Amino acid sequence: MTFHRTALLSLFLASAALPALAQTRAETLRHVTGASINTLDPNMPGSTREAFGLSLLTYDRLVSFGRKQLDGNWVFDLDTIRGELAERFDVSPDGLKITFHLRKDAKFHDGTPVTAEDVKWSMDRAVTARSLAAGQLLTGSITKADQFRIVDTHTVELTLPQPDKLALPNLATVYPVIFNSRLAKSKATAEDPWAQEWLKANTAGSGAYIIESFKAGETTILRRNEDWKRGPGNSQAHFKRIITQTIPEASTRANLVERGDADIVIDLQAVDAADLERKGKLKVISTPQYNAITFVSFNNQMPPFDKVGVRRAIAAALPYEDMFKAALFERGKRLYGATWADGKAPTGDTFPIVQPLKTNLAEAKRLLTEAGFPDGFSTTFSFNVGQAGTAEPMAALLKESLEKIGIKVDIQKLPDAQMSTLINEKKVPFFTEGIVAWLPSMDYFYRNFYIGPIRWNYSSLNDPKLTELAQAARFEGDKAKYAAYGLQLNTMHYELMPQIPLWQPSQDAVMAPSIEGYTYQFHRQIDFRDLSRK
Amino acid sequence: MKLGATATRAGRRFISSLPALFGVVVFTFLLMRVLPGDPAVFFASGPQAGPEEIAMIRKQMGLDKPVPQQLLLYLGDLSQGNLGRSLTTGQPVLADLRNRLPASLELTLTALLIALLTAVPLGIAAALRPGSAVDHLVRFICALGVCVPTFVSGLLLIYVFYYLLGLAPDPTGRIDIFLSQPPRITGFLLIDFALAGDWEGWSAAARQLVLPALTMALFVVAPLARMTRASMLASLGSDFIRTAKSLGLSSRKIIVTYALRNAILPVLTIAGIVFSTMLGANVLVEKVFSWPGVASYALDALLSSDYAPVQGFVLLMAAIFVFVNLTVDVLYGIADPRVSVE
Amino acid sequence: MTFLGSSATLRHTVWVLRGNPVTAVAAAGAFILCLLAIIGPSIVPYDPIASNVANALKPPSAQHWAGTDQLGRDVFSRLVVAARLDLAIALSAVSLSFAMGAVIGAICGYMGGRIDRYVGRFVDILMAFPLFVLAMAMVAALGNRVENIVIATAIINLPFYIRFARAEVNVRRNAGWVEAARASGDSHLSVILRFLLPNVLPAMAVQVSLNLGWAILNAAGLSFIGLGVKPPTPEWGIMVAEGARFIATGKWWLVAFPGLALMLTVLCFNLLGDGLRDILDPRMRT
Repeated sequence: MTFHRTALLSLFLASAALPALAQTRAETLRHVTGASINTLDPNMPGSTREAFGLSLLTYDRLVSFGRKQLDGNWVFDLDTIRGELAERFDVSPDGLKITFHLRKDAKFHDGTPVTAEDVKWSMDRAVTARSLAAGQLLTGSITKADQFRIVDTHTVELTLPQPDKLALPNLATVYPVIFNSRLAKSKATAEDPWAQEWLKANTAGSGAYIIESFKAGETTILRRNEDWKRGPGNSQAHFKRIITQTIPEASTRANLVERGDADIVIDLQAVDAADLERKGKLKVISTPQYNAITFVSFNNQMPPFDKVGVRRAIAAALPYEDMFKAALFERGKRLYGATWADGKAPTGDTFPIVQPLKTNLAEAKRLLTEAGFPDGFSTTFSFNVGQAGTAEPMAALLKESLEKIGIKVDIQKLPDAQMSTLINEKKVPFFTEGIVAWLPSMDYFYRNFYIGPIRWNYSSLNDPKLTELAQAARFEGDKAKYAAYGLQLNTMHYELMPQIPLWQPSQDAVMAPSIEGYTYQFHRQIDFRDLSRK
Repeated sequence: MKLGATATRAGRRFISSLPALFGVVVFTFLLMRVLPGDPAVFFASGPQAGPEEIAMIRKQMGLDKPVPQQLLLYLGDLSQGNLGRSLTTGQPVLADLRNRLPASLELTLTALLIALLTAVPLGIAAALRPGSAVDHLVRFICALGVCVPTFVSGLLLIYVFYYLLGLAPDPTGRIDIFLSQPPRITGFLLIDFALAGDWEGWSAAARQLVLPALTMALFVVAPLARMTRASMLASLGSDFIRTAKSLGLSSRKIIVTYALRNAILPVLTIAGIVFSTMLGANVLVEKVFSWPGVASYALDALLSSDYAPVQGFVLLMAAIFVFVNLTVDVLYGIADPRVSVE
Repeated sequence: MTFLGSSATLRHTVWVLRGNPVTAVAAAGAFILCLLAIIGPSIVPYDPIASNVANALKPPSAQHWAGTDQLGRDVFSRLVVAARLDLAIALSAVSLSFAMGAVIGAICGYMGGRIDRYVGRFVDILMAFPLFVLAMAMVAALGNRVENIVIATAIINLPFYIRFARAEVNVRRNAGWVEAARASGDSHLSVILRFLLPNVLPAMAVQVSLNLGWAILNAAGLSFIGLGVKPPTPEWGIMVAEGARFIATGKWWLVAFPGLALMLTVLCFNLLGDGLRDILDPRMRT
């Protein structure tokens, strides 16, 4: 009896002690990732994707993306822009002036109110400082400091040289964050007027979270900013603390989330995600990355890939379905296997669209012979070490299949820095790469990935007609005309086959069943402000 | 007199090792420049990753100058204790190394301790009955330890002890993330926790250490045991042991007091060498256990052609190598006066 | 006293092997491995490179003794075929450092003086490097091809052989029989090649065997971080590294069998090296 009572008592004590601990755990979100954050200022050249992710939490922007449902999953929506630091905004009827009305309750982490002056300084910094922002904002016709004008303490006006659909979405990307200008200016020096050096290691924002501790390449711990009430319905962020840990081994990340030690992870290997989904204990939200594409790419300037026949022959010889199964475990959206009525693209308002590609070795052989290579040729196929998990099986299958039409492929696995250097120097003949567009409109893809001597123009395409069409589409306000341009571009893409779109890989967000609100975001990171625990 | 001689000797050894350190610095510097990857391009991830952005990063890294000038600038920076800045972490390399070195040292020292505690008894057991079944068994066990790649044994240990059995804590670095860190005094968690009197924290940190240290220890038991065995054999065969035996001393006393004491010196020498090799070679263990040490730091930097961290890491390792050798040497000199003064 | 030359040595060998069954087993294992390396590709049941995605990731069965991998390739066939490449990498890397080390070390030990000092400095520099990182950097710089993996492995082994050969030659350079050879008009080169090296090689050969295993593991480590041989070539290290990705999903055969192959090979070489040392090193005789 006594024993019994003691046991009960200790049980009681234990349960009295536990809730406090359990509560802090419940209010904390533990996130694991394979990568690391290298700067607190997303504008620094060389910022990693994870640094972008962090900046969305520590800083606010004028506006942010809304969300929409796509095939049953929540994804960011390019077409709904909502206010963030701006309470609301008006666009003039001619589309040339956008007026932002700032929230009057917004404060920086140090308590200073957010004013038009801060916005002006931050925007001036974005377009003038030597940073990543300028290159992004020019895609939305924002290039000069004098485009921004302070109307009053809480109103800022943006003037555009021409109406631009992407002006507002550009302001929702990671770069144009609003800094506490007074604080930043106090840290500026003569040779560093925009305090870039100081802001790499410090924050001066108004965002939903405050950095509690930051160890580069190890852990980042964030504390909720209690004054931030800019969530849906003027709510706070749900989690009091967010812990992000870098765990390099993918299988360890899978173990951690499966055992409940981690709450959420988005960078698992496809095989682990598939396995966890099958086990059914966790919530697995698998969203095809609708703003990303994986390609098998050629350098269109390099023989023999300068011949369209060779490119089309290879497109007919790829073992698409096997590659999709072996590399991605079918986790993604296929971009092959469509039927186009007369060889013309069925739609023009979006890119990418599903291509009429099928494995047909006889056709491939015929095309190759027609292009002047009846006996095939030898080439190399490259990919980088970082994507070896998916690219390696893919490359092995590609090699096997191309051998059947006489093309001998030597597989090259290159360290990431080496691969990007070679691609940038346009020295890789045949390879696989992926692209991502933050603002996935049809013309944005064509303008940023098929024109000019930039790194992202993987196929090194230089086609005057395509360039002209893409530029024309950019400022076309009429939806039907825009789609007509797109129809032409999409058809051209198939006919020219500068590179072969394979699929859109899924982002597999694996989380504890109690986590809700996950949305696939443009920067392919978790926006923790979206999340809550039941 | 004797101490003075040892100090002179140590000083001379130190000075003679400086050219090697200089050679390491220059060689690493050049090797990194030979890497075909251009870090500026790799980190140029912006939307308009064209020539302009690349030039910007190149300037930021000081790569816009000719290589000989870069080398001179680097040597100049080095002399002021500036190891450059890492693009991977965004921090000064010196700060990164200072933060991460204790993690690597703590892990390596623990592993070495485990290895010594296993290897010395095994070696003695083998030496006492050379050629016997025990000897063969020891040899077999040692050989077994070195024949599994560390990344495989590490992953298997995690799978079994963390995932399947739940005995080990989650392999996410040096300490359970929900525990608070001790005030940083030495950077060695076990010492800092002990100084703070936080024994709960101490045991948590110790538990995190077990699996990675075991993985590393497995690999170095063999050379240590082999050395113990050989040097015990030599020691047991020497005249003074025969004398001790003829005097009728207990065999326990002979083995522990006389033979082992004489045999342990070469073992410690090997341990010194093993230690500096381990510190540089535990790249994969650190990677597998998400251990925030210097080696995994260098690995990440190397794969992205981030020059400064790799150069800093190699210099650090070389300096430790020199320092450990020197220490072993000095200890040897003190322990065994017969060691000649060169 | 040449390498395993006299009948006394042979008798000694037999005696050691009899007293040391482990070495005998290891020698047998090494023999089987070499045999597999030679005839492996012609006896395997499946083409080690032919994929069959419909049959991917199947556990071991009567058809596929060691299961199938991500592309549906037969793991057993790949393992057997890989023996040749793995042994070739290890053998060539170790013989390269052995040959270079022996020659350089012997010259240094024999000549002494300035050459000796310069080489000594170079060796010091190499020794101070964190070796695995050095190997990584070299493979990354030269490109990850088999030749370069061999070269990198050979170079990081080099200091050891140079020092060893140097020390052994150095103690013998003033021995009576060396003096005699010199007096009878032999050139320095011929003294080194005909008299000194043959005496040093047996002791170094022991290290070769121990090093073989280490070279294989080194190549496996390089594969793990993505600097190994090219796919789809079967190689144990890369198979283990790929298999390790499937640990969390319980596809154990992908890591277990290549891991086992790697382990047994390294074990064989290590035990053989140990045994060889007993045979060749009279000081260890008991």
